[in-house]
Amino acid sequence: MAIKVLIVEDNPVARSFLCRVVRESFSDAIVITEAGDLESARRHVGPLHAERIEATADTFKLILVDLELPDGNGMELLTELVRYPATKIVTTLYSDDDHLFPALQCGADGYLLKEDRFEVLVEELQKIVRGQPPLSPAIARRLLSHFRQGPGGMGALAGLGEPALASGSGFQSSRPLPLGRGAPLDHERLTPRESEVLTYLSKGFTIKEIANLMGIKWFTVNDHIKSIYKKLNVSSRAEAAVLASKHGLV
Amino acid sequence: MDHSSSSRGTSPELRGGAPLSSSRARSAPHDSLLDSRLIEQTLGRVEHLARWMGWRLRILVVAALVGCLGVLLLARWMSGTPQIPAEWVTTPTGQLQLAGSADPRLHPHVGKVLAGVGSPRQSSVLPDVLAVTPSARWIIDDEDRLQQQGMHAQLDRLLHQQTVRLTFADGRTADVHPVSRGIASLGALFWLLTGLGLVVYMVGMIVVLASPSMRTLLYTAMCCSQAGNLIFLAVESTVALGLPEPLSRLDFPCRVAFDLITCAAVVHAAALHPRKVPGFAAIAWAAWASMIALGLPTIMGVLTEAWWWTQASVAVMGMVTVALLAWSYRLLRHPFAIVMRRFGLMAVSTWILLTLAVAIASADRVPSVQQQVAEVGPVIWYVFLASLLLLMPFLSKSQQVMREFSLLAAISTVATSLDLLFVAVFSFGQFTSVTLALFLSLGLYAGAREWVLNRVRSRNMLTTERMFEKLYRIAREVEAHPDRAPSLLVHLLQELFEPLEAVVVEKRSPTVRVVGDGSTLLLPVPALTDKQVSAPASIVMRFANRGQRLFTSDDARLTDRIVEQLCRAVAFDRAVEQGRSEERLRIAQDLHDDIGARLLTLMYKAQSPEMEDYVRHTLQDLKTLTRGLAAPNHPLSHAAGEWKADLTQRLNAAQVHLGWHLTFDRDVSLTVVQWSGLTRVMRELCTNAIAHAGATRVDIDFQLAADRLELSITDNGQGRNPQAWAHGLGLGGVRKRVKQLGGEVEWREVEPHGIRCHVVIPHLSERP
Repeated sequence: MAIKVLIVEDNPVARSFLCRVVRESFSDAIVITEAGDLESARRHVGPLHAERIEATADTFKLILVDLELPDGNGMELLTELVRYPATKIVTTLYSDDDHLFPALQCGADGYLLKEDRFEVLVEELQKIVRGQPPLSPAIARRLLSHFRQGPGGMGALAGLGEPALASGSGFQSSRPLPLGRGAPLDHERLTPRESEVLTYLSKGFTIKEIANLMGIKWFTVNDHIKSIYKKLNVSSRAEAAVLASKHGLV
Repeated sequence: MDHSSSSRGTSPELRGGAPLSSSRARSAPHDSLLDSRLIEQTLGRVEHLARWMGWRLRILVVAALVGCLGVLLLARWMSGTPQIPAEWVTTPTGQLQLAGSADPRLHPHVGKVLAGVGSPRQSSVLPDVLAVTPSARWIIDDEDRLQQQGMHAQLDRLLHQQTVRLTFADGRTADVHPVSRGIASLGALFWLLTGLGLVVYMVGMIVVLASPSMRTLLYTAMCCSQAGNLIFLAVESTVALGLPEPLSRLDFPCRVAFDLITCAAVVHAAALHPRKVPGFAAIAWAAWASMIALGLPTIMGVLTEAWWWTQASVAVMGMVTVALLAWSYRLLRHPFAIVMRRFGLMAVSTWILLTLAVAIASADRVPSVQQQVAEVGPVIWYVFLASLLLLMPFLSKSQQVMREFSLLAAISTVATSLDLLFVAVFSFGQFTSVTLALFLSLGLYAGAREWVLNRVRSRNMLTTERMFEKLYRIAREVEAHPDRAPSLLVHLLQELFEPLEAVVVEKRSPTVRVVGDGSTLLLPVPALTDKQVSAPASIVMRFANRGQRLFTSDDARLTDRIVEQLCRAVAFDRAVEQGRSEERLRIAQDLHDDIGARLLTLMYKAQSPEMEDYVRHTLQDLKTLTRGLAAPNHPLSHAAGEWKADLTQRLNAAQVHLGWHLTFDRDVSLTVVQWSGLTRVMRELCTNAIAHAGATRVDIDFQLAADRLELSITDNGQGRNPQAWAHGLGLGGVRKRVKQLGGEVEWREVEPHGIRCHVVIPHLSERP
């Protein structure tokens, strides 16, 4: 059975390049759907009414979304797809945390930098699908401060469903969301080990070096990173649910 | 030098700024305690005020009513006393001459010398100069004084008769009927002096009721005594022929008592304020005891040469006061002590001059001159003292008033002495001498005023110019280091006022104000930036101009305006900076989005891997550039983390191992130029190591200590003889960037093989 992949990218050259990357990365049969803007991407995904869409043969398994699209920002799509059971990857030219962090908060499972070499991209994509998402020092730092202050107070979903998204540069504005919660829940807190891993990551250490420094196995470090990602996603999903119910969407 | 940090402690005590504490060292613990209480009081007084206001206000109203009623009753009684409607002048021999009269029966006798006053039934008295001498207090000779008192009593009795017979030197007599003098005949001087007395009394009451304490009580004692003196002077100004009973009897004892009480209170107050001198209680007791010991026999008439004793003791007490204030200033450089010392000196010296003038005039035995000197001199001296007293509570209110008053005081002293001189030496008439003295001193006043004001103004102009310059420099510094705002402001104000102490305390003062009798200026630290999230703080400055000057309300207003200007300058700078960063961000965004997308397309379409790599590097450089534009500064620790991750990724992709050593003593904030320069230097050198040297290991050693940056990048490739390298685009770029950062770069061979590139930037923070 073929795996369905959606690539949302406006530049046709880049789109075909990403298609090559995807085909190279997986040995399975692959059906690639291409979309040049948000509107056609939404058409391809179909209606999103159900509480949680079941993963069937008909749903996309992998979605690559560019951030800068002609009719809006890729993050809008990511927000809409928060409960969509696919691996969502942001493909972008922006490598700074100001742009990437909100994307991760919107539920992206990883990011690819478009200027990287073909081989590098293939490797990174494989890693993300395998559950080894990238984490740059800047994003690690951002995560640390995010969890230290509590997701509720940091504007975890900066600009969720806001028109400011379209401007493309408004992600720095961390708008505090009045969610009226007291002590942070479990998924909003990092374990000491996770904090340690993040601290090392923010100083530029590789996973291998961190494993050495902490005296633990390589995959344990990776597990911590995955867990951090999950916490970020879970918290953003919880917030999305709260927001959605507030806005009368659910 | 850092005032803010020195006072950040939790203790409420004030701590002196380091450079100014030299004079404080001697009395440090005592003062700080005193001060913290003072600050405590002034900061927390508001809520107590309302509670106390009730009964104090009532007492004040009662006191005011009593004072006004007393004056009115006195005037009414005075207007009812009988009087012969005649004017007298003294002849040089001390006899009385009729100068004029409203009574037609006396008209034929104008110009005649009076030989006796009597009644048809009673024996007559011979009134001489003593009958028109108003005050027994200023008669030097004890016998003269007794005679004067006796004569006044006799005259008073005679004037209460139906008819008074005046006998003149030519033997003729005239019978006149004494009439009530009427309220109009009291004269302007009477009303002026009673008015002043009332004002002095009221100020004394207000001061003591506003904050009841020993000090204010003493002040009120002085005020009440001087008010009494002024009332007596007012009554004496109405004398035509004898004072009415019982005033003539009371005049001498009351006025001596008033003078002595004032002296004792002044000495007592000087021992207490502005600082308690050691043994202040003993001094105060001694002062009161000696005054009582002197006063009682004087009042009972036991003491001989009473006038001399009184004059001398007043002078001595005045000098003691001046000495006490000088001592007190040595202990605590409170400018109040200086101002009071000057006033004290002025008062004491004029007192001594007055005493001498009266004594010399009476030694000449020319009764008319003696009378004039003794009549005019004391009035002026007491008015001067009363105005000093009035000024005291308002010393810190305005510099302007101080200046004008001291000028006026000096000029009136000159006028008085000129007047007395003309009278004593040239034997001018009273009117002539007063007019002449008045004109001369008015001319002097006009000239001196202009001169003094010009001097003051020109000095202020200079400081204003310098201050504006400083103000804008501070605004810029506050922008860079918001946490240093209070200490910068303290420095600015220190230059302006030169206080002995200037500290920041962690208490909120609602406004800029002057407290502690002008010794202290309090101002709240303004919120200059929104980043500054510190506890509310106030700046406390004590003893302006190295303890030579009092803070005035003008100073408070000036400070207020300076703070306002500073806030404005900071806001302006911030707006400019914000505009700049917005513009940079927009440029970065445009570059990144437009050129980046095109370069990306170009990269995908590249014909060869070299071309692709070249475009990729260009794209990465573009990203570094736009990143630098968007973020104005980068903490070294953050930048280092990114460098390491970036270089590890690059080198690992080429199967090269990275050895990374980073040490820094301070997490400096790198500017855009430094950040992008270092980023590209490291990136370029690593690229070289991969592409040209074919190294398997690159070691990067980054050290920042005491603002000196040393960066060495060592590879183990086959590169040799770096001096012979063609300076291509890459190495030239490295040189250029290092030079831009104010550093040096050199390449060396290392054993057994490889190249080390050594970058030294001696003063990292000096270049932008």
